[in-house]
Amino acid sequence: MGDDYNDLLQGTLELLVLKALSLEPMHGWGIAQRIDQFSGDVFRVQQGSLYPALQRMLRRGWIRSEWRTTEHHRRARYYLLTAAGRRRLAAERSAWERVSAAINAVLAVRPASGES
Amino acid sequence: MPLLSDVRERIRAIVWRDRIERELEEELRFHLEHDAAARRRGGSGDPEREARLALGNIERIKEDVRDARGVRPLENLAADTRFALRTLRRNPGFTLTVVLVLGLAIGAATAVFVVADRVLLAPLPFRDPERLVRVDQHYGSGAWGTISAVDIQAVTAQARSLEAFGGVRFVEMSLTGAEAPERITVGHATAGFFRALDVPAARGRLIEPADEAPGAPAVVVLAHSQAERAFGTAERAIGGAVTLDGVSHTVVGVLPPDRSRLVGPQTAAWSALQLETPTRRGPFGYRAVGRLAPGVTLPQAQRELADLSARLFPVWRSSFPDSTARLVPVDLRTALVGHARGPVGLFAGAVALVLLAAVANVTTLLLARASARQHEFAVRVALGADRGRLARLIATECLVLAGLAAILATATAAVGLRAAPLVAPTLPRIAEARMSGGAVAVAVATSLICGLLAALAPLSVAVARGSDATAGLAGSGGRRTGAGPRATRARAVLVVAEFALAFPLLAGAGLLFTSFVRLERVDLGFDPNGVYALDVSLAGPRFEDDTVRLQFWRRLEARAAESAGIAAVGLAGSVPPDNFGDVNNFNLRDKPVPPGTAEPVAPWPAVTPGYFAALGIELLEGRPFTAGDSAGAPPVVIVSRAWAAKYYPGESAVGKQLISAGCTTCPLVSVVGVVGDVRYRGLAGEADAVYEPIAQAPVDRLYLVARSRLGPAATFGALRSALAAVDPNVAPVEVVLADRVRDALGDPRRWTSVIGAFACAGVLLAALGIFGLMSYVVRQRQRELGIRLALGASPGSLARLVMRSGLRYAALGIVIGVGLAVLQSRWLASLLFGVEAIDPLALGLVAAGMLAVAALACGIPGLAAARVHPVEALSMS
Repeated sequence: MGDDYNDLLQGTLELLVLKALSLEPMHGWGIAQRIDQFSGDVFRVQQGSLYPALQRMLRRGWIRSEWRTTEHHRRARYYLLTAAGRRRLAAERSAWERVSAAINAVLAVRPASGES
Repeated sequence: MPLLSDVRERIRAIVWRDRIERELEEELRFHLEHDAAARRRGGSGDPEREARLALGNIERIKEDVRDARGVRPLENLAADTRFALRTLRRNPGFTLTVVLVLGLAIGAATAVFVVADRVLLAPLPFRDPERLVRVDQHYGSGAWGTISAVDIQAVTAQARSLEAFGGVRFVEMSLTGAEAPERITVGHATAGFFRALDVPAARGRLIEPADEAPGAPAVVVLAHSQAERAFGTAERAIGGAVTLDGVSHTVVGVLPPDRSRLVGPQTAAWSALQLETPTRRGPFGYRAVGRLAPGVTLPQAQRELADLSARLFPVWRSSFPDSTARLVPVDLRTALVGHARGPVGLFAGAVALVLLAAVANVTTLLLARASARQHEFAVRVALGADRGRLARLIATECLVLAGLAAILATATAAVGLRAAPLVAPTLPRIAEARMSGGAVAVAVATSLICGLLAALAPLSVAVARGSDATAGLAGSGGRRTGAGPRATRARAVLVVAEFALAFPLLAGAGLLFTSFVRLERVDLGFDPNGVYALDVSLAGPRFEDDTVRLQFWRRLEARAAESAGIAAVGLAGSVPPDNFGDVNNFNLRDKPVPPGTAEPVAPWPAVTPGYFAALGIELLEGRPFTAGDSAGAPPVVIVSRAWAAKYYPGESAVGKQLISAGCTTCPLVSVVGVVGDVRYRGLAGEADAVYEPIAQAPVDRLYLVARSRLGPAATFGALRSALAAVDPNVAPVEVVLADRVRDALGDPRRWTSVIGAFACAGVLLAALGIFGLMSYVVRQRQRELGIRLALGASPGSLARLVMRSGLRYAALGIVIGVGLAVLQSRWLASLLFGVEAIDPLALGLVAAGMLAVAALACGIPGLAAARVHPVEALSMS
């Protein structure tokens, strides 16, 4: 169901996860919370798709996980950004900046006066 | 390193599967609790429910995470494999049968194919081995043989198509000096021999052209093991001296350790072949190898040597009148291993038939199993399994079986290859056929292929029927229809195939066995028990003079005759039953062969009268050799009865005259006597022989033959001490004639046993196959049989009904098998003695035997049919 939609979302979701984890190591719920926080209403993370995404990113070596104790003395699985993940985030960001700059430039073009 | 982390995560996912599942469970639970707690703090009315809604379907998430681990296919395979192993463990009889049948057959096939590859196909261990040739002399009659010194010199000097060419002659020499004199095999070779083979020396140098000049210092190149034995190390051997036949040779080189044999027998030492200027074309006995010059093809070389022969041979017409003979270069590997094609082909053919029969058998077993599991498959389909999943289940099961079979096959092949040199010690290079990675790969690959082949039929049945869930369920719930006609027909075809495959196996084994019995019953012409011989060779400068040698032989015989316990003793140039080399050509004075054609040859041993006494060969006609048949007297021979019957049928051979060895200037040789037959051309060979007195043929090598009531140890002790008393520096070789006779039967006996074992396996498989099929048919038709009984059929008629339909399959298979047997006869013919390759009586007997086996195998289900109880059978519906 909705594979195309998921695929479209996946890259973005991963970028958001990388960004969230670049601030500090956190568990799955924390990541979801943080993404909601800094994207407001624009990106609503489907919590169900977060865990498969984390699993994929583990396999790619961008993040690693370890079990830690929370401030409420509960055991939880924390995710940490690896060096590869940090490089990935930087690459994604510069790619994003290039693309958005280009799109901005395109959108900024006005119709030439002599043409219409 | 994304690849590394990827692999690591996947391996973790497999290895720590259960722990990772628990962790996932815990992680999601934590998420829910944490989320609920946050929502409670936010004032939610039902925080748990909201948290669950926000997260979504937990099982779905788990599945997605599992997919994201990337080990799904592997996990499925593992699950299927575990399931297959569990199912197979529950059916130990079935599993064991399949694994045994497949494993043993594939193991045997692997061993035979490794042998075939090593013996027939593996390239010779020389540089560019396909450029190497052996030069033989071919005769117009199709026979071929060794070449002479003349030919070696002519080809060396003239042939352009060979970039290197050399001759070799293997002789046994006495090695003296160290302790007791020892007999070793020495290759007398020209420099070109080593150059053609392109074998480097490990130490020092090889034979060089300067060494070949008559009178050049005697040098020797040692085999590595010989150098180590005599001098400790290869380095120390260089410059040392070894005494061969009383002549001191300087060691100039040592061959590498893996070169204990080059193109002939195991050779301890190599010395220079020094060829004198020839006076006639002969004697023969030289082998020659050459290397084709760059760009020259074998046919070109053959044309050049044919032209050379046409120029050369007429020059020597006086000593070699056969104008049909030609020097012919033949591919060296073919020359060395060509004779092994027959037996190896026989083994390969037999093992291939067994393997096919085994696959057919396993297929019937799997088919039967698939039929029996019809109900299970129907349930699975009803519960939602798709056909692919079902097919994968069956395929996995077959692959697991194939894997188990592969393990057994590898073990069987290893045992088989270890036994191979014992089974066929006379095959060239057999010792090189060993277990290797390649052999394991063959065993495993063959197992997998056979497993998949065997899986095809049950797959098609199960998938076709499996999709029809209602029919399957109804069938098993109501009448036992089983797999239906399709599977039964497939099994019947396979049973026919099994009989068709077993027939040529059994027929071949029968022919080989008959041939072996004929060979064993061949009249040797003497009783080999209690006959012992010392092979004595006199060579070197001390024995160059004819009279010295003759004197030595006379004293040796006299000395041995004095020994206690020796009943009779004599000297002979050959001993039965196989002494192929000692032959001579001759021409009958009154019936000469047409000019320009090959003269007849016969075994030609020089003997003393004592030899006839020692073997118990009777004088049938004429007179024995006497003291009067001396060196200066007119030459005489005694012939065997077979010789006399061959050349003078219906008349007496005594008094006839012949020209010996093509020597037209020599005095004519007279036949003075005829003696009983003894074979020198092998058990299967003719018994023709011509004996000459040693006084007129003072040869340098004779057997001291004794008949004795003492055991071998005491007899050889007495003979050895007689020899030592005459000359302590001559090394003899002990020969037990009974062993020679047994060895001559060795190959046929071993080959017959192996093929016999294959044939038994083939027949057993066929019997098992038809037994399984008919038992199944009886079970399947129980209701029909019950009705027949109820309608008045007798139990006996039902048994006959079952047997008749079973025997129909067997008979059809046998008819096809007869065709295969006729096809294989071409192969078999060269390996048989005294039987025709297509013997209608033998084929009939084999067919009858197989029908009897089939009847026996069908008899048990037949009896079961007769015991069907009508009420029970009918109440099943």
